[in-house]
Amino acid sequence: MYLSPNEERALAGEYGESMQMAYRVLVALGRLSRAEKLIPIKWAHVSGVSYLTIGDYGLEFLQKVSSSKGTRFKVFTTVNPCGMDIENWDDLKISSDYAEKQLKINACYEKLGIANSFTCVPYQSYKIPSAGSHVAWAESSAAIYANSILGLRTNRESAVSALASALTGKTVFSGLHIDENRRPEKNIRVRLEKREKKFGGSLDYGLLGYFAGTKVEGVIGFQGVRSKLEVDEAKALSASIGTTGSSGMFVLGSREKVETIDFTEKEYEDNFSDLSSSEGGDLIVFGCPQMTIEELYELSRALAGKKFKKKCVVFCSSKVYEIARSRGYSKVIESAGATFVRDACADFTPLISSLGAHSVETDSCKGAHYMRRVHGVDVALKDSRTLVEENIA
Amino acid sequence: MKQSFRVRCIVEGNARATVLSTTQPIAFLKGVDPEKGTIIDSKHELCGASFAGKILVFPNSVGSSVGAYVIYRLKRSGKAPKAIINQNADIITASGCAIAGIPLYDMTEDSIKEFKSGTRLVIDGLKSEVRVL
Repeated sequence: MYLSPNEERALAGEYGESMQMAYRVLVALGRLSRAEKLIPIKWAHVSGVSYLTIGDYGLEFLQKVSSSKGTRFKVFTTVNPCGMDIENWDDLKISSDYAEKQLKINACYEKLGIANSFTCVPYQSYKIPSAGSHVAWAESSAAIYANSILGLRTNRESAVSALASALTGKTVFSGLHIDENRRPEKNIRVRLEKREKKFGGSLDYGLLGYFAGTKVEGVIGFQGVRSKLEVDEAKALSASIGTTGSSGMFVLGSREKVETIDFTEKEYEDNFSDLSSSEGGDLIVFGCPQMTIEELYELSRALAGKKFKKKCVVFCSSKVYEIARSRGYSKVIESAGATFVRDACADFTPLISSLGAHSVETDSCKGAHYMRRVHGVDVALKDSRTLVEENIA
Repeated sequence: MKQSFRVRCIVEGNARATVLSTTQPIAFLKGVDPEKGTIIDSKHELCGASFAGKILVFPNSVGSSVGAYVIYRLKRSGKAPKAIINQNADIITASGCAIAGIPLYDMTEDSIKEFKSGTRLVIDGLKSEVRVL
């Protein structure tokens, strides 16, 4: 792989240990993918934030990187949700041991220089670079959304590789950064002719993505779907693909002449019954990935003057929460009895376990997949409208 | 018998040490003990074996990407392998070795089965070559 004289110096350690480590990562990954060079990026999105996922070993590594003198992120950097609401963890029954470790992790990232929220939907809160721009995003749901909806170019980065990109402002020129690799490898055709209800909404697109991820490793072409999706549909589709597969991108309305796999009533039902293990639940969870402002608006409209009959938690970033507050959405949702959890991840927070939930109701396929595995709860999958209608008085 | 092998460099470095070899993949998170430098996955053929200070030979890693941080912890606790040779290196092992500074090579031409446990190897980073002693 070609390195500029400056990159060679960084790799040799002339710009400090952290920078050397970051270049070692990029060079190693460049060699793995036989890339010809590194390229500059406009935005890094780093995963590996919740203490529940990275643990003491990750914390130790971040402390080392962030303590090295003068080490700062070189480009605009956002980070994934953490394991709790930073303002409100005590009320939400998070243990102080956990909170202490989580705050240490957050302090490392803050020292390195991050945007002011912890979010898995970074595209909701910050200005999107022009189409075609190169970025380096970890968090598979965001990376897939970036490639497929925003027209950005990124590979599905790991926690370590995205951190290296944030420190250097560069990524490896390979995979989805290259034009010819952005064409569908296989098509998935939606054929639900027998179904009465029109295909649409976050649950339907979530199930489609959950299926597609298992069938296609490369770019996925979709047929028989609308050419423009609502934000919540595109978010759910991206999140589900990231949950079951390695694909980093989809194309809506593919015309690529490649192998085509049908998504019929059978595939819909099979994937639904794989994910949904219960008829109902004792806790309602909204926001995996975190709620968008559009979703909070819809939720506030559905809840106006109503009350939830059971406990409900709503996950969103602190930045989106502020917008929802200024527009009055959050007040309506809170008045209905729901609790906001800001800057945290529904799947990787101790909260679901500490609230003592045995079963959860959600509209998210990704959430169902991980909450069952991480917290051992049963999950009832329902579309967002049903979730509200069945549970309010 | 062939005595020298061409390897592909992922993280450079030299090493001279005894081999610990397996044809089964390794999961670093929960599959190894980073304080002791041993394999602790009860289903693994090398369960209980120590790789600290050795050249660890295995096909590729599996499991959580947090495995990269476990490799880093191995280095900090002084229990890391001297070097790693994979059949096909993957992102977890590559990023872990990169942050820890552990030499990593993989084999694009020959099989890792050439390197049996107990033999001594020299990894010559400059030539991307492994020699059996």
